[in-house]
Amino acid sequence: MKKKIITRRDFLRVAAMTPLAGALASSLKAGEKPSLDKARVVLVRDKNALISFNNPRPEVIRKMLDDAVTILLGEKDTVDAWRKLIKPSDIVGIKSNVWRYIPTGRVIEQAIKQRVMDVGVPDDRIDISDRGVRRSRVFQEATALINVRPARTHHWSGLGTCLKNYVTFVSDIPDYHPDSCADLARLWFLPQTKGKTRLNILIMLHPLFHGIGPHHFSRQYTWEYNGILVGKDPVAVDATGLRIMQAKRREFFGRERRLAVPAKHIFLADTRHGLGVSDPDRIDLIKLGYKEGILI
Amino acid sequence: MDNCSSKEKKDLSSLLPREIQGWKAEEKDRSYDPQTIFDYIDGAGEVYRSYNFRELLVRRFKKEGKAEIVIDFFDMASSKDAFGVFTHDLEGEDTGIGQGSTYKGGLLSFWKGPYFVSIYAEEETEETKEVLLNMGEVVASAIQEEGEKPDLIGFLPEEEVDVGKVHYFHNHMILNYHFYVADENILLLDQQTEAVLGRATQEENKYILLVVRYPDKKRAAQAYKSFIEVYMPDAVGPGLVQTEDGLWTAAETKEDLLVIIFNAGSSLLAKEMMKKVEERMGRE
Repeated sequence: MKKKIITRRDFLRVAAMTPLAGALASSLKAGEKPSLDKARVVLVRDKNALISFNNPRPEVIRKMLDDAVTILLGEKDTVDAWRKLIKPSDIVGIKSNVWRYIPTGRVIEQAIKQRVMDVGVPDDRIDISDRGVRRSRVFQEATALINVRPARTHHWSGLGTCLKNYVTFVSDIPDYHPDSCADLARLWFLPQTKGKTRLNILIMLHPLFHGIGPHHFSRQYTWEYNGILVGKDPVAVDATGLRIMQAKRREFFGRERRLAVPAKHIFLADTRHGLGVSDPDRIDLIKLGYKEGILI
Repeated sequence: MDNCSSKEKKDLSSLLPREIQGWKAEEKDRSYDPQTIFDYIDGAGEVYRSYNFRELLVRRFKKEGKAEIVIDFFDMASSKDAFGVFTHDLEGEDTGIGQGSTYKGGLLSFWKGPYFVSIYAEEETEETKEVLLNMGEVVASAIQEEGEKPDLIGFLPEEEVDVGKVHYFHNHMILNYHFYVADENILLLDQQTEAVLGRATQEENKYILLVVRYPDKKRAAQAYKSFIEVYMPDAVGPGLVQTEDGLWTAAETKEDLLVIIFNAGSSLLAKEMMKKVEERMGRE
């Protein structure tokens, strides 16, 4: 069947609905019905999460992650919760992000690694990497992936998301750029990634909500949100992060200012690729920590 | 002044300073080409590739206790593309540096001749702003040649179009960045096409003008046909349709050019604008 071309007029037709989600819903495959299950996402915030920019407080970060994972998995004990995600026999790749201006960072990476080791996975069967994943033995043989990265606006995909974080699994990155990275979800169906992701963590300690210049960065457009989003469904996590970003942009610019490039890959991951859910009505968002400035 | 289109590759490092106001350059510069740019610039690297950049030279400056400053110096190979990549982001204050510039949030960008220059301070202060502007002046002075803007801009009626906010580009990814038309390349844009996109105001009506030049007349006709078939299958007249928001879109082709008016308040206005553009094309 020939793929339907989506034009500006499709968006105009459904302007009364959420613009992207509505227009792109038409790309659902014939006969395909979206799942009615809700995806659980946990947002945890702590005012003491940061010592300074790119310098999180380790003990607070560990507690935030522990609280989020236990609530997400419905367990009281942190390690029991992690056992629902990882088996001692797993080979675990922690897919990080080394973007110069706001990297995932060692504090968060190590907090995750410690919990994976607490489950019983030995050190030599765990690797943390971003641009080296295609060369890493652990990532090549991985049976489980933990996906962790900071949220930021992105010049070409609208938002740097959990979905996008798998782009370093491929060598042909430009192949994923057409139509503002519309089909990034394809990255989740590669042999190296398909069905392996156990947890998605979108770091929102000081997200970048607007980008400028070749590097798409200015400290002026970051803010201390002190939050972390955690979920098993990458689409639900990213869609929630996007809502927070849009709310921040409204607050900062004093008007509705859409991302220069719509983060449509999030909605298409749902409606075109069936990877997860993007509709807020189908996301069970649990909020932990302080509520001031929560924006969602 | 000329188009500064040159096959000759210059030593870019000779055009950059080594020290300004105590900020000293790191010993080694870094250099990237269209294949390696993603090692340095995530995401936006596609923008520079779309403007056919030839080389990027990066020089990083340090001063103890101060924010680092980075010069990203792009050899775009032609002044049209240097201008074009500059028009990708026109937000900010004009500093008068080079042949066009913007400053915002610790970032100075300008173009001159076949070069596009971005100078960035990792933290914005009054001091870094002053240093950035001084560095910009020094680099702009070192570039001897000036370049011409693309002649396509001349087709846009300057009475209505804000010519300081026109975008020049080649491919449909950049078109969609500035004004989303379709997920597929229905206008058959590629690295050989040239396009300008302007925002115009007439009375209360804000609308969009797009002019594309194709390598030849045949290709322009194919693009027109493709656009009409996909975008306006319900056209009420040749190349004219009222869209779902009550506004009008008009398209016409002339020789190797395709002109499209989006968001016109009435069919009359769309036709009037089309006529104005065509008159200007006739003068060339």
